[in-house]
Amino acid sequence: MHPTRDQAPGGPPAGASHDPALVIEGLVCGYGGGDVLHDVSLSVPAGAITCVVGPNGAGKSTLLATISGLLRPKRGTIKLHGESLAGKSPRQILDMGLVHVQQNHSLFRDMTVRENVELGGYILRDHALLLRRRGYVEEMFPQVAQWAGQKAGSLSGGQQRLVEFARCLMLDPSLVLLDEPSMGLSPKVLRTVFDAARLMNAQGKTILLVEQNARAGLRLSAHGIVLENGRVRLTGSGREILEHPEIGALYLGGAVTRASGPAPGDGGGAPGAAH
Amino acid sequence: MGRQIYEAVVDGILVGGVYGLMAVGLTLIFGVLDIINIAQGILVILGAYLSYALSVHLHIDLFLGLLLTVPAMFVIGVAIYWAFMRPLRGRERTSMSLLASYAVAIIIEGILYWIFSPNYVQLNAWYVISSVRVFGFYLPYIYLFGFALAVALVVVLYMILYRTRFGRSVRATMQDQTASRLIGIDVNRVAAVTFGIGVAVTAVGGMVYGATSGGFNPNSGYDLISRLLAIIILGGLGSIGGALAAAVFMITLESLVSIWSPNWAIVVFYAALVLVLTVRPSGLFGRQGVRLQ
Repeated sequence: MHPTRDQAPGGPPAGASHDPALVIEGLVCGYGGGDVLHDVSLSVPAGAITCVVGPNGAGKSTLLATISGLLRPKRGTIKLHGESLAGKSPRQILDMGLVHVQQNHSLFRDMTVRENVELGGYILRDHALLLRRRGYVEEMFPQVAQWAGQKAGSLSGGQQRLVEFARCLMLDPSLVLLDEPSMGLSPKVLRTVFDAARLMNAQGKTILLVEQNARAGLRLSAHGIVLENGRVRLTGSGREILEHPEIGALYLGGAVTRASGPAPGDGGGAPGAAH
Repeated sequence: MGRQIYEAVVDGILVGGVYGLMAVGLTLIFGVLDIINIAQGILVILGAYLSYALSVHLHIDLFLGLLLTVPAMFVIGVAIYWAFMRPLRGRERTSMSLLASYAVAIIIEGILYWIFSPNYVQLNAWYVISSVRVFGFYLPYIYLFGFALAVALVVVLYMILYRTRFGRSVRATMQDQTASRLIGIDVNRVAAVTFGIGVAVTAVGGMVYGATSGGFNPNSGYDLISRLLAIIILGGLGSIGGALAAAVFMITLESLVSIWSPNWAIVVFYAALVLVLTVRPSGLFGRQGVRLQ
């Protein structure tokens, strides 16, 4: 078994015929003390859902924080649609069409749902555009429009996730980073939240999500990346990783029972997990 | 006796309103930046001296002078933020801010001693000297004018916070800095402007304090900051409504006890603080309660 590192830089991403949305090369990053990410290289195919899985402390959230500009990398490059994000502030990165939905409780709890949604469009100076976007977002998530007057903090965990999704869509982003959308949710609510993620994807948003619940995350995703100790351990289609025996044992709680077979829509150039 | 109580209550509300404004500045700074600005007391005194200089040397009316002193204090506030507060980061930010702002207080105090000497001065104008009969007894006009201005400014602050885009960014930053950065709010700019606004209100507080306190010198800032801290803790750190309510409550209480014994007034002030915190550790409107309302 030779788990493959990420594909060669610039190489064709799994399952996408066009250029990747995001390409990361040689990323090193940490918080003051030690490095959390050591030489991470990966690419996120445009138009698809990609899931990063890995044990606690693997650096999954750090990866997202570095992409969205919350953390400055020590080394390495991050390119969004070919344009470097080096030295850009979170605000400038938002302008480029990349939004980051944080782990758990990132809503402004004392504000109403509507205020929260509108704050998603904080950087929009054009009020008419802001209202149009709000209309579009509320059409996509009608429940969010129903809760408009409620305090965000009074909503349940799953409801808050939907509002967070609605908020992040206010900028009509091309790439959405989702940090642990399943956290703290019951399986039933999780399905609703993942359906919403699928809906965003169907609207043309590329999604990069990080999941502790690896099995659910990988099932949702066309592509998977296994991160371990700040390094990319394996990449491949979501199904390939789900069915990878070693990964299955380590992160998914035992072997995967689903019958193996060629992953649909994943033809050509699928790198990663060797079978 | 009943009449004395009535007078003490009216007095407490009028003076409490002005303390409320000063405390709102302090609690706003804490709410957004997690910084306790110990220099707020001496900044009030600096505001008073600015009014003093303008009225004595340039013969500018105290209220008119605020058009100059408020922007001046705003700029001073932003400068203090950039020089002393912005470098503070991480978990120890709040406790480090106590030291840093204490240093600022000592520096300003030294400068004020150097320029104005330790002699007590008072702000004067016709409305400080003449009284008017309201609520059934005589009060210098300044109490009414000062209270009206303080209330008006709190309303303005409230409108800024709840009706403007900038206000939204301030409230967002108060609740979650990282989430705010991720929607594109420049939290450093919000912090600097908020610190500036929190300090700018001391120009008004200082003017009214300088005209009603019966004299001040550069040392007067310490008495002020201890009261203001007690007020914002009682009101619940970061709560604007709490700061206002606590200011009126505390100053009224102090004014009531003064009828019986002025010496005990200040003791009761802090005793009330301890008592309330025993029952409600987060203050009247603390973080667990409704913030900012």
